[in-house]
Amino acid sequence: MNPDAEELRSLMGFYAGEVERCIRCGFCNSVCPTSNIEQSFKDSHKSRGRLVMLQSILWNSSNLSPFSNKFLELIDLCFGCRRCLVVCPASIPIPQIMWHVRYAAERRKANPTPYTLRAFLVNYDKIAKAASSLSTLSSRLINSSLGRGMASKLLGLHKDVKLPPYRPLKKTKRRRVKEEADRLVFFGDVFPLYHEGDTTRRFLDKLEEMGFEVVIPKQRQAGIPLLEAGLIDEARKIAEYNVSILTSYVSEGYKILTLSPAAYLALKKDYITLIGSRAEEVAEKTIDATQLANQLLKIGMVKPQNLRNQPIVYHSSCFSQATGLSSVIVEMLQNIGCSIMLSTPRCCGVAGMWGLLRKNYEKAIAVGEPLFNELRNVSVAIVSQSETCRLWLRNNLERDDVKHPIEIFLERTA
Amino acid sequence: MVKPSSYYKKPSERDFEELRRIVGGEYVSTDEEELATNAIDAFPGEFHMPDVVVWPRDAGQVSRILAYASRERIAVTVRAAGTGLSGCIPLYGGIVLNLTRMNRIKEIAERDMVAVVEPGVVYERLNEELRKYGLFFPPDPGSAITCTIGGMVANNASGMRAVKYGVTRDYVLGLETVLPTGEVIKLGARVFKTSIGPDLTRLMVGSEGILGVFTEVTLRLRPLPKTAVTALAFFDKVTDATDAVYDVIRQGLDPAALEFISRRSIKAVSDFKNLNLPDADAMLIVELHGRDEHVIRQMQEVRAALERHNAFEVRLAETEEERSNIWAARKGAYPALLKVSKSPLSGDIIVPISKITEMVEKSYEIAAKYGMDFGMIGHVGDGNVHHIWFADRSEPGSWERAVKANDEIVKYAIELGGAASAEHGIGIEKKKFMQLQHGKETYELLLKLKRFFDPANILNPGIMFDVEEVLAAEVVA
Repeated sequence: MNPDAEELRSLMGFYAGEVERCIRCGFCNSVCPTSNIEQSFKDSHKSRGRLVMLQSILWNSSNLSPFSNKFLELIDLCFGCRRCLVVCPASIPIPQIMWHVRYAAERRKANPTPYTLRAFLVNYDKIAKAASSLSTLSSRLINSSLGRGMASKLLGLHKDVKLPPYRPLKKTKRRRVKEEADRLVFFGDVFPLYHEGDTTRRFLDKLEEMGFEVVIPKQRQAGIPLLEAGLIDEARKIAEYNVSILTSYVSEGYKILTLSPAAYLALKKDYITLIGSRAEEVAEKTIDATQLANQLLKIGMVKPQNLRNQPIVYHSSCFSQATGLSSVIVEMLQNIGCSIMLSTPRCCGVAGMWGLLRKNYEKAIAVGEPLFNELRNVSVAIVSQSETCRLWLRNNLERDDVKHPIEIFLERTA
Repeated sequence: MVKPSSYYKKPSERDFEELRRIVGGEYVSTDEEELATNAIDAFPGEFHMPDVVVWPRDAGQVSRILAYASRERIAVTVRAAGTGLSGCIPLYGGIVLNLTRMNRIKEIAERDMVAVVEPGVVYERLNEELRKYGLFFPPDPGSAITCTIGGMVANNASGMRAVKYGVTRDYVLGLETVLPTGEVIKLGARVFKTSIGPDLTRLMVGSEGILGVFTEVTLRLRPLPKTAVTALAFFDKVTDATDAVYDVIRQGLDPAALEFISRRSIKAVSDFKNLNLPDADAMLIVELHGRDEHVIRQMQEVRAALERHNAFEVRLAETEEERSNIWAARKGAYPALLKVSKSPLSGDIIVPISKITEMVEKSYEIAAKYGMDFGMIGHVGDGNVHHIWFADRSEPGSWERAVKANDEIVKYAIELGGAASAEHGIGIEKKKFMQLQHGKETYELLLKLKRFFDPANILNPGIMFDVEEVLAAEVVA
């Protein structure tokens, strides 16, 4: 008998049953970024291996402790990219299972997320908001040796990580809009609100110029990093808060607009996982900026400028693939006169905050290496929807022109 | 009779130390994490923990490990991706020899149309490389994205394209093999035909690792087809579909794939990739490969044959994306079907192509007799049908009834001149059919053959044959 089996089963709830449904075909290994690096010759370092280890515990077939540091380090090799969900023929919610293993460990206080990192994750949006109010100073501080030292000490970030500067979304006066205007409520997550607010502003301004009403209500972060750390209760609270606010707008006829794939994924899928059917209406009414831009181009409300064809390399992030936005982005870019020289689905390895942590940094580089090699000699602009992919590619390719597709949209439309 | 439990030595620290000397400390593990993940594969059985897992890098290391294990009488189970469906697991503990580190594509000889690879190369990765040269290695098993070449050779794996291109065996030109006693032998030659005495390469293919460990495989390649056209056809009557299959083959329309999917399985396929397939009792997927006009003309003939057999809808894949979705869904259908029940039991029979309709009709009869729900899916172009029985071990008698129904199907297939397994192998699951399949004399010869290659019976013990039977086989030295 495995002494931890029953406790794990009860803490994981529904997801323990999902572990047992896995038929061990190994399809997930083929797409799992960390399962395919040199260090991962061991089955325990691969996606299926994690499910097999969990089965061995739940079926009392091994003495593995799901609460040991060693085991949890192996679970941590799943960074929630969701690629496995596309190939799993048994529809096993693999990333969600891993969140719940970490959740079980958190509840057992086994190898808990360090206090400072936990506080940072839970309050990431609040910290970013505060830092943004003194954006010039904060931006300088986070990349100073003092700032990096603190980030390394308090959060466990790797010393080579260059953090993005603070560029908060500036508030503007609310414009008068026509009664029949299309109404949008913007849900940002941290980057579009506090780090890349200038791009957000330009896009929202453009929408307003076209007659849309855009409101930016009080909101919390999307919360996906919390899920990945197993802080499910905290993530659920955030989901409840965001859904309650967004629902009130939806009932008044607003659509929800996102700019970050993490925000889109949270609203479309993860909040339903967390709070069930209450999040369904929000999911249904959510539209991503790239989808909206593409629609506007198709119906002729926005016209591409008569510019020379622009060659572009598109990096399809894990979340863009998981949400199905990749094909929309490619179409949108083509509709504004870009020719896609290369569209690469390879993972860059950063996975939100995962790769920035000292303990994962080397593995993140190893995952990203094939992509870096593919992109190293690319001379044209690289486009990726994910904020952390862009950050990571800028860092590792040592170039600045890694852009959000919406930046290209803004550059090339009248 | 010798009891296997007392026959094999349980390896100890001294043995682990020797293994570390051979492959390096980093590549030997007795950690519970590694033991558990090497204790089971895709066969729905139980965990059988090895004592140690070893990841060798080359034939020299494999040779030293096997020679040592033979001398010390330690059980060795060979493994790479661990995607086998019949069970190849360390029933008697000992060493798992995990070949995933032997994953180099050593050579692609474009002009010879030959590739030389290590056993741990993943099938799809090899084909990805080969595409750059306009070549491919055709067998295409359902597990293509994750299974390895070594396992494919060991099981003589095949898949959707076998009807046109044949099976793994047809492509293995040469093998470097380490015998259980440690000798490294080279089999075959780098040419498409030979007349040089008994063909030991063909003997090795499909031997499921009981005769030796492959450390290098020389494969014949094919040029990638210029054009591929895929059609789906739907039928209200299962036997109309199977009759259509026979017609397409008999007319020499040379399908590159001819897949049959029964009602229960259509839904699984449809849902997996949102294909929106209609309600039907049976569906066929037909693919043709060749040059543009030729293939398109041939597809018209296929269409006529399908319609002649009352297909109520024939649908052509319009885009490459649609085509690849159909195949991704079909490949996922087998495991997707397995999820329909709590304890699925799957079969892998094959019958002569003239008997497909009879076999399918008999299947419904047998299922009704045992009160079992089931799905069928198969590469019917060559007579291969997978039955998936929706059993539930928590329901009394359900599993036993499924086993009985499947046994009866297998026996009927053998009676019709077919076989217990077409592509999944014997493993631990189907050894009970070995004697019925081969007849007493051949079966005894096979036991002797095993004993001749592996006198200490250390390699993959309990796979294909019971240990007791192998040890009882007399071989004149």
